[in-house]
Amino acid sequence: MNAFDYRAPRVVDEALAVLREYGEDARVVAGGTALVTMMRQHLVRPGCLVSLRDVQGLSRIEATNGALRLGAMVTHREAEVSPLVRERLPVLAETFRRVATVRIRHMATIGGALAHADPNQDPPVTLLALDARVEVRGAGGRRELPLGEFFRDYYETALEPGELVTGITVPLLAAATGATFLKFLPRTADDYATVAVAATVTLEPDGERCREARIALGSVGVTPLRGRAAEALLPGERLGERVLQAAGEAVKGEVDPLSDHRGSAAYKREMTAVIVKRALTQAWEAARRSARGTR
Amino acid sequence: MTFAQECVIPVERERLWDFLMEFPRVALCVPGVETIEAVDASAFRGTLRVQVGPIRLALQGTMTVEEQDRSAWRARMRAEANDRRMGGGIRARMSLTLAPGQGGTRVHIETDLAVLGKIGEFGQPVIKRKADTLLAEFARNLQSALAA
Repeated sequence: MNAFDYRAPRVVDEALAVLREYGEDARVVAGGTALVTMMRQHLVRPGCLVSLRDVQGLSRIEATNGALRLGAMVTHREAEVSPLVRERLPVLAETFRRVATVRIRHMATIGGALAHADPNQDPPVTLLALDARVEVRGAGGRRELPLGEFFRDYYETALEPGELVTGITVPLLAAATGATFLKFLPRTADDYATVAVAATVTLEPDGERCREARIALGSVGVTPLRGRAAEALLPGERLGERVLQAAGEAVKGEVDPLSDHRGSAAYKREMTAVIVKRALTQAWEAARRSARGTR
Repeated sequence: MTFAQECVIPVERERLWDFLMEFPRVALCVPGVETIEAVDASAFRGTLRVQVGPIRLALQGTMTVEEQDRSAWRARMRAEANDRRMGGGIRARMSLTLAPGQGGTRVHIETDLAVLGKIGEFGQPVIKRKADTLLAEFARNLQSALAA
């Protein structure tokens, strides 16, 4: 690893000032699970690490108006075991539970994972299906953008130089909605997914038909993706075999996986259809249970 | 690794050819090119910033035009560039041909690319994907430069 300066500011503005001072030579470090590994491999050689560890106010999990807000420095483990997240958005807690190993979950942070933008990560998939918004701060102030606009390319985000992620806001599920996260792992339980799928299904007031569905996909493109063509087939339908088959077929045209040691592109495309059908079935059943429970 | 790419630019072939052969100017349409200067009539020196996965590269090097054949609408270039900090670089041979296409001129590019050092570890699919993104952006930049 190369020599580098290390700064540990206590407030966000101070972190932003260090980023301005060092320019592109600075890298923000949160849990370090990704960045330190890349530094050891000499893939990244920053002149300065700006640690967010001591920055106040970035580690809170709060319920706000119809949403949960998670600070950028909330670890995967904290999100997994948070009573608030478990109660209000169990699908999100479950997603964090599926990430890597417990040692990594204790270190890896939500903001760090988003800024790293590895398309094989799990939380962005569920966050995308839940329509989460990313909060970013830079010299120009604070801005918020939908997660779908945040990921730009393989490991590339909409973060401008000198900006950092400060938190994420995740809307709670609407009434009569089911949500699920599935991770296809043919190798080991702590591996990255071969395909990951998060789905939500919201029912019509009659509780019998789908009003809206959202499908998000991980590990099958250079960024997490929405399966919009498949989603468009579902409103007004009961999610039975015929509709699910069509949705699975539609989603194959929306993914663009890379061949690697977790499978060929063709295999991943086929498995995406399988896992999407499974995820929609589970979300549909959960939505039906939720609708019955509230009537 | 070798790969072929295509795009269609909505202008006639003669005009596109003339524009493409004006190297310092056309190089600025390549996304990430920061500087470009002529060394002599057929060689140019410049810097290109590009991100491949988590790796941000600042490639410094030269591009040499090896062939410019307007009668065959074909040009051949060779590029060599290194990133001093990362200790890696690229060697590329590119062949570019122009053909009439639907709604404009079809640009066909064949590239033989060798990636040295750390970036090479990212593997062919990722690098090819990046090349496609760069070409698409280059085509957009060309169009707006030609429209201006």
